[in-house]
Amino acid sequence: METIELALGDEMTSNPAPEPEKESHEVLLVQTGEVYACSENETLLAGMCRLGRRGIPVGCLGGGCGICKVKVVRGEVVSLGPISRAHVSKEEESEGYTLACRAAPKGAVTLEVVGKMQRSFFHGFTTQQDVLRTKKGGASWES
Amino acid sequence: MGVLRMGHASLRVMDMDAALRHYEDVLGLKTVMKDKDGNVYLKCWDEWDKYSLILTPSDRAGLNHVAYKVEKEEDLDILQKRIEDYGIATEMLPEGSLPSTGRMLKFSLPSGHEMRLYATKEYVGTDVGTVNPDPWPDGLKGAGAHWLDHCLLMCELNPEKGINRVAENTKFMQEVLDFFLVEQVVVGPGGAMQAATWLARTSTPHDIAFVGGPRNGLHHIAFFLDSWDDILKAADVMGKHGTKIDVGPTRHGITRGATIYFFDPSGNRNETFAGLGYLAQPDRPVTTWTEDKLWNGIFYHTGEPVPSFTEVYT
Repeated sequence: METIELALGDEMTSNPAPEPEKESHEVLLVQTGEVYACSENETLLAGMCRLGRRGIPVGCLGGGCGICKVKVVRGEVVSLGPISRAHVSKEEESEGYTLACRAAPKGAVTLEVVGKMQRSFFHGFTTQQDVLRTKKGGASWES
Repeated sequence: MGVLRMGHASLRVMDMDAALRHYEDVLGLKTVMKDKDGNVYLKCWDEWDKYSLILTPSDRAGLNHVAYKVEKEEDLDILQKRIEDYGIATEMLPEGSLPSTGRMLKFSLPSGHEMRLYATKEYVGTDVGTVNPDPWPDGLKGAGAHWLDHCLLMCELNPEKGINRVAENTKFMQEVLDFFLVEQVVVGPGGAMQAATWLARTSTPHDIAFVGGPRNGLHHIAFFLDSWDDILKAADVMGKHGTKIDVGPTRHGITRGATIYFFDPSGNRNETFAGLGYLAQPDRPVTTWTEDKLWNGIFYHTGEPVPSFTEVYT
């Protein structure tokens, strides 16, 4: 009986360990000049969605559909899971291509959007004004 | 004689552990066996044959093949001749090519998707049995899906090049496998082009569907639930598990089904589909949706386009 009470007491008083704060990094989209913050434990796509505009193609979020294909042209990313070889070949991966739903930044990152995402960005809702406005507050390493 | 129903789907997954958590904990299937190549076989509680889903470890997502069960072994021989007379090559895979499964007639649809027909699969019974059964078994996980209901295959449609695999598949299914057309979407001048079709062999609104797109692929496999309440509960389960929901819960105009679209951890789209909609029969007049009302057919309440629904598939 005593041990049960002790166990319950422990349960009541112990607080869950706080999630360690992961460092946030700046991600620059080459074609539009937009910059967003993305932490080391979230995907490039999740951060991109916080840009809050339409046309960011969120697909399966599982690395299978290929709609969020990007090329990392500068900086380093870490893989958060497998990506479909139907959409990113080994050769492409070695050239920096990945899927934004399966990669997190390890530092400041510059991305080129490709494929479906590019179509959404350029035939969709991006205007020259958007590009000019966002470039004013461009990534720190660009200034 | 002929095709009874959808028998199983074979899907590629990139992370087997994550896939099993999804199909077992979210949808409620049970693993029944694994083979030496690492394929895992699962079934729903209300199905009586050994399995309805094969998960194959792979470096990509998508469909390996879809299989339909026919009534009798001799149907396979009759249908083999009919398919070959139609001009499509076939191969009869011997018994045991898949475990617990008889010989399989393998061929490609005009779209290129691999289809298999079989008559024999090991009988194991439903989870409630056949004598004085309860309406549902104890211990169901997640959505507690009843059975694998249908699949939707994306088929190349390129009017400029004169390619319409939707129409070709539909013609083949009707003329050779004796499916009947239940609903269709027609587009273009005068509605001359069949851009999507829903076909059945059972009395449900569809056992297979074809939708036109830029390339072939798998749009979704669907699991049957009883009611709108079960759809709501399934969405709760997905919220609990962090499942990526694509669309819903909502209702289709086409088939009248209540639905949720969501993705497995490799990005293969699933559906939970509820309601029998109406009695589908070979002599029921075909329902037609026109191009201007296409999205009302797909998502009846809003009638608005959902780009991911048509652009995202494996």
